[in-house]
Amino acid sequence: MDDNAPAGQPISEAEALERLEQRADPSQRYYAAWWLGRMRCQNPKAISLLIEAVGSVLGQTGSADDLMVARNAARALGKLQASKALIPLLQALDHPDHDLREAAARALGELGNPSAISALAQRLRQPRAAEETGHGVRLNEPCEALIEALGDLSRSRHDQELITLIEPFSQHERPVLRSSALRALLMISGDQRWASALMELLQHEQLQVRRAVLMDVGACGWRPAGPALANCLAENSLKLIALKGLVEQPLMGEGNQAEERELLQLMDDLL
Amino acid sequence: MTPTEPSSLRHCLECVRNAATAEALVDATEALSTLCPELTPGSSDQDEAIACLLELLRHNNPGAAVAAVDGLVACGGTAVQPILDNIDDHNYGARAWAVRALAGLRDPRGLEVLERAALQDIGPSVRRAAARGLGLLQLHELPAAERHIVQNRMLNGLEVSCGDAEWVVRYAACVGLEGYLKQSPAAEAMQRNQAYALLRNLSEASSEDADVVRLRALLALERLAA
Repeated sequence: MDDNAPAGQPISEAEALERLEQRADPSQRYYAAWWLGRMRCQNPKAISLLIEAVGSVLGQTGSADDLMVARNAARALGKLQASKALIPLLQALDHPDHDLREAAARALGELGNPSAISALAQRLRQPRAAEETGHGVRLNEPCEALIEALGDLSRSRHDQELITLIEPFSQHERPVLRSSALRALLMISGDQRWASALMELLQHEQLQVRRAVLMDVGACGWRPAGPALANCLAENSLKLIALKGLVEQPLMGEGNQAEERELLQLMDDLL
Repeated sequence: MTPTEPSSLRHCLECVRNAATAEALVDATEALSTLCPELTPGSSDQDEAIACLLELLRHNNPGAAVAAVDGLVACGGTAVQPILDNIDDHNYGARAWAVRALAGLRDPRGLEVLERAALQDIGPSVRRAAARGLGLLQLHELPAAERHIVQNRMLNGLEVSCGDAEWVVRYAACVGLEGYLKQSPAAEAMQRNQAYALLRNLSEASSEDADVVRLRALLALERLAA
């Protein structure tokens, strides 16, 4: 292993695997786990090492270093859509560490396997899930991640039980969590009223909130939102990503060509 | 008070300087952007207004930056040199907006900055604006010999953008190539063929993995065939 290459420098796949496998330097493992996900590494050895990194903290509190590596490994498994990681990620959803639960929830959403729905929903049903903890930085549960994953896995399923579970979060005091809830409700139901509430939130006074809403609308693929996304006060690069979502994943199935061209014109004007 | 009176410019500049909120800054920038093109080109008043608009590109306020770019583009040719003289090497957000303004101005004097941005800027938003801008440069006022050289450089830059790792830069390259093929009917057959080949490449699933880029390339090919 090349000890002279600091974290952050470009490395090869073999180098990344080696760094993840060693145990002496957790920061090298942390970086390697991120790198493998970022580079969409398809090497089977990468998947097994990442699963091992998540597994090493299951059933125990885990050292701070191991947790740090496990969180990045969970994120990478999501990016790699590693179907083999389903079971360990479901187990990680019950880990005492909030951030590992969050990483696992997002990864499960990315895996795209609907069999994760009940475990995600169960976590969201925990008493006081949406109450602030610690110094108010976090909620007891990673609600945004759980809700977004539920939405992604239940697209157009019209699951009434999930709608009932998620709906109260659309009234939460945190606007970014409201946005996640509205996104999931719109995805699951296709119901216009959630879209209207999202459009309203797109005008929020804080740029940080508008950015989150942009990404949520894009993920929904709610095409009528196109002009509102293009006019929102935020960076063009984020608007372009959101509009790409509307073009590529329309919520209402195929969508028509005229609609698509209008969206492309909106994108052209933002370049 | 008509908007062309200098006192109105003073007022606009003061509003920009005193804007207490992000929203107030957007409003003030919009007012200045409306006024700026009305001022006498080359006057010290317009120079000052342009300098203020350029400064606004650095504020990390997207709404104000959009308005400032619109104002600069509306000024036409007189805005080109000040933009070129003020490219911010340390702030890629500001650079992206400046390159976007150059793209909107379509002035061949922007070639070198657009080319450099497309080829080697670290910011995807800068490379994106440059790819579009390269394709849109208007060459009809250039002498034929120079036009040929510029067309070659535009196309070389666009080719690099077509191979960019970021989908959004390749998307912008589609728009640039469409503009290039529309704007340069006098380009040599070889250049046109090369531009078409690049567009076709971006339109095919075997060579392009982002759906939205393929759709944009197909749209360009369809419009060019019409």
